[in-house]
Amino acid sequence: MNDAAIEATGLAREFKGGIHAVDGIDLRVSSGEVYGFLGPNGAGKSTAVRMLTTLLAPTSGSASVAGHDIVGDADAVRRNIGVALQDAAIDPFMTGRELLKLQGVMHGIPRSDGGRRAEELLRRVDLMDAGDRRVGTYSGGMRRRLDLALALVHEPNVLFLDEPTTGLDPISRQTLWTEVRRLNAAGTTVFLTTQYLEEANELADRVGIIDGGKIVAEGTPAALRAEVGEPTLSVALEDSVQAGLAREAMARFGAFVDTDEQSVAVRLPGGSSALTEVVRALDQCGVVPRGLDLSEPTLDDVFMAKTGRRLEADEAPES
Amino acid sequence: MSLALRQTQALSRRAVIRTLRIPQAWVPSLFFPLMLMAIFSGSFAQAPGRIPGFPEVAGFIDFVIAGIILQAVLISGTSQGAALAIDIEGGFFDRLVSSPVSRLALVSSRILANVVQGIAYALFFIGIAMVFGARIEYGFLGFLLVLVFTALLAAAAGSLGVVLALRSGSAEAAQGSFPLFFALMFFSSAFFPRETMDGWFKVVADLNPISYIVEGMRVPIVGIGDTTDVLIGLALVVGLVALGFIACLMALKRRLRGDL
Amino acid sequence: MSTAHISLSLAWRSLILVRRMPSVFIPSLVMPLFILVATAGAFRGIGALPAFEGSSYLAFTIPFATMMGGGFAGINAGSSLARDIEGGFVDRLIASPSPRLALLLGPALAAMVRSAFTTTIIFAAGFIGGVSLPGVTGTLVVYAVAAAFSVVTAGWSMGVALRTGSVQSVPLMQVVVFTAIFFSVPYAPREAQDGWLRTVSDWNPVTYMMEASRDAELAGVSASSLGLGILSAAILITLFGAFALFGLRRLGN
Repeated sequence: MNDAAIEATGLAREFKGGIHAVDGIDLRVSSGEVYGFLGPNGAGKSTAVRMLTTLLAPTSGSASVAGHDIVGDADAVRRNIGVALQDAAIDPFMTGRELLKLQGVMHGIPRSDGGRRAEELLRRVDLMDAGDRRVGTYSGGMRRRLDLALALVHEPNVLFLDEPTTGLDPISRQTLWTEVRRLNAAGTTVFLTTQYLEEANELADRVGIIDGGKIVAEGTPAALRAEVGEPTLSVALEDSVQAGLAREAMARFGAFVDTDEQSVAVRLPGGSSALTEVVRALDQCGVVPRGLDLSEPTLDDVFMAKTGRRLEADEAPES
Repeated sequence: MSLALRQTQALSRRAVIRTLRIPQAWVPSLFFPLMLMAIFSGSFAQAPGRIPGFPEVAGFIDFVIAGIILQAVLISGTSQGAALAIDIEGGFFDRLVSSPVSRLALVSSRILANVVQGIAYALFFIGIAMVFGARIEYGFLGFLLVLVFTALLAAAAGSLGVVLALRSGSAEAAQGSFPLFFALMFFSSAFFPRETMDGWFKVVADLNPISYIVEGMRVPIVGIGDTTDVLIGLALVVGLVALGFIACLMALKRRLRGDL
Repeated sequence: MSTAHISLSLAWRSLILVRRMPSVFIPSLVMPLFILVATAGAFRGIGALPAFEGSSYLAFTIPFATMMGGGFAGINAGSSLARDIEGGFVDRLIASPSPRLALLLGPALAAMVRSAFTTTIIFAAGFIGGVSLPGVTGTLVVYAVAAAFSVVTAGWSMGVALRTGSVQSVPLMQVVVFTAIFFSVPYAPREAQDGWLRTVSDWNPVTYMMEASRDAELAGVSASSLGLGILSAAILITLFGAFALFGLRRLGN
């Protein structure tokens, strides 16, 4: 039995004017996984999500979500997915509760259950007090939480989140992350797109890095990082005598890396897990380090390696 | 099938409630036509029976009610369209599309909401007109017939608003089209008999389907005219509703395909 | 920089904007023409009533259409001012040593020019429809009434703009202007109007302005109707001019 929650083969979308927003994507997300789609603005993340959530038809290729084809069996897909897209999709003139009940009807939930479900969800996303106020009065964070609640009304197997924390303050972001982890622990597959490295790092089991409509790298965050390079441990010393001792102590941990005279740096394949051993070794040789710095390659480094550009560039010169 | 009905009902209910909550959405539909009804009646009070071509109606207000109701449902139709455009702009439309909502329900709910509004407006205007002396010659059955016309006109106007919204995705475009259709109403017998018109203007009015629809709607109120007039009017407005509905489905299909 | 000089520059700017943003202004130029054609075409039959004294209904409608043109021009002055306030242009003006009065005089002047433009279009359309110009004095009076009305409505609209500082108030400007015109004598002379409407129009100063214009158009300028028209215009201009002036005080708060 195929337990892929999401599967795509050569999925592509071309727009008028020959723009290949999505240029042939192959994906396989297992049931219960958290998959992160990481990429800069304009990479095609939102277009891909819109196709997977049946909002947009592909121009070539195919995909199935929750075992149903997105084109041929769209309604079945819709029954199994929860969607929270970029702009919190709400109606400012209705109250949170009214919207939740309406969404319930859309999914065929009997009226008697609809009210109860709305109540439950309001509690889960911490909107109990605001539930009967018009959504137009909600803050940005509250709207996102309501958006998430709306996506969960029918307890979907697969949850799609398109840039869920863009523009949110750090606290709202943490709250959302906690909720995503909880949902995933309860068995929901989560497909999220983001432009934030930290978010991909923190939440995703596997990450797909997308650029220019294509997936340029895919794997667990750790594996991706390891592909690019190993962590580097840099130790700052008091003087050259200490430096010499440190050099001897650290020789067996990894290859040396050029650095300044007062420091010694080695590649440390084990990363932070090997740190204690290094410190012990230094201590045994009578070295007293002035400072330790362990730098790991980031997903940004991965992106750089694959595309030659930085992911989180503030001033993006490209179109 | 019953799920689609439930969805239609829930979405129409939402559309109506939303309209009620935003005064700008329904006040113009009442205020402007009301003002015109008052001014026309006040200005043309001496017309009935005294001008060649003007039927011997009890009062001008009896003559003009049908056209006024049409005007009101037209305004509210474009308003519903603007509301749909706002849904599209804001992303709520996407939420509905990505849910298992029947495509038919998406379109029908807006049209149904306008029908509900239209009936409410008709009751309002007929009520006010009767306070000022108007009578429906064909009694209760005539009244029902007027409501049937109203419902159909509102459905046509609603579908017009929906098409504009789906094709443009912009609230401004949907709302801004109102003047054009308002203009179309003047080039008909909505407010004054075609028999009194002249030249090229009369030719246009004679060709305008609105003339025949309003004339049919007028028969039960003023008691002048025959069944043929009513039937022609009904047939035309039913035709408009059918055309409008098809246009809606086509526009929806285009939007969902992503070509817009 | 004198008030006159700045007013003229602002008036010029206002007029130039028509070419730059046609979609904003085209409706207000086309609408009076539409009103002429639609009204005269649809209600032509009413001209058979004795109260009209056999005059052409098209000629009868010309004053209505030209005053509507003036009304639209005045509303535009207000909506443009509101837009400028929102956009910050007005702030820059206040911060300069130029006299604030120019903020009002400039657009008012532009409104008058615009109303002259629409009046010309209306006369041309009337001519095509078979109505010739009503002699020199008559034509001048029609132009003057429309221009005066544009100043009145500009005063009202700009006053609203200054107090609200928002383009959202444009519907309010429109509603008052349209109500004022519609509850005067747009479709039939006062003698033909039904009791209650007659009472309302008797009290409406706009009625006398329209009647002055209409007499000039149809029968020839008569001293009494012209006198009443001038008096009403003077009252309204003073009233709404003051309304706008006091609105200036609110600026920068």
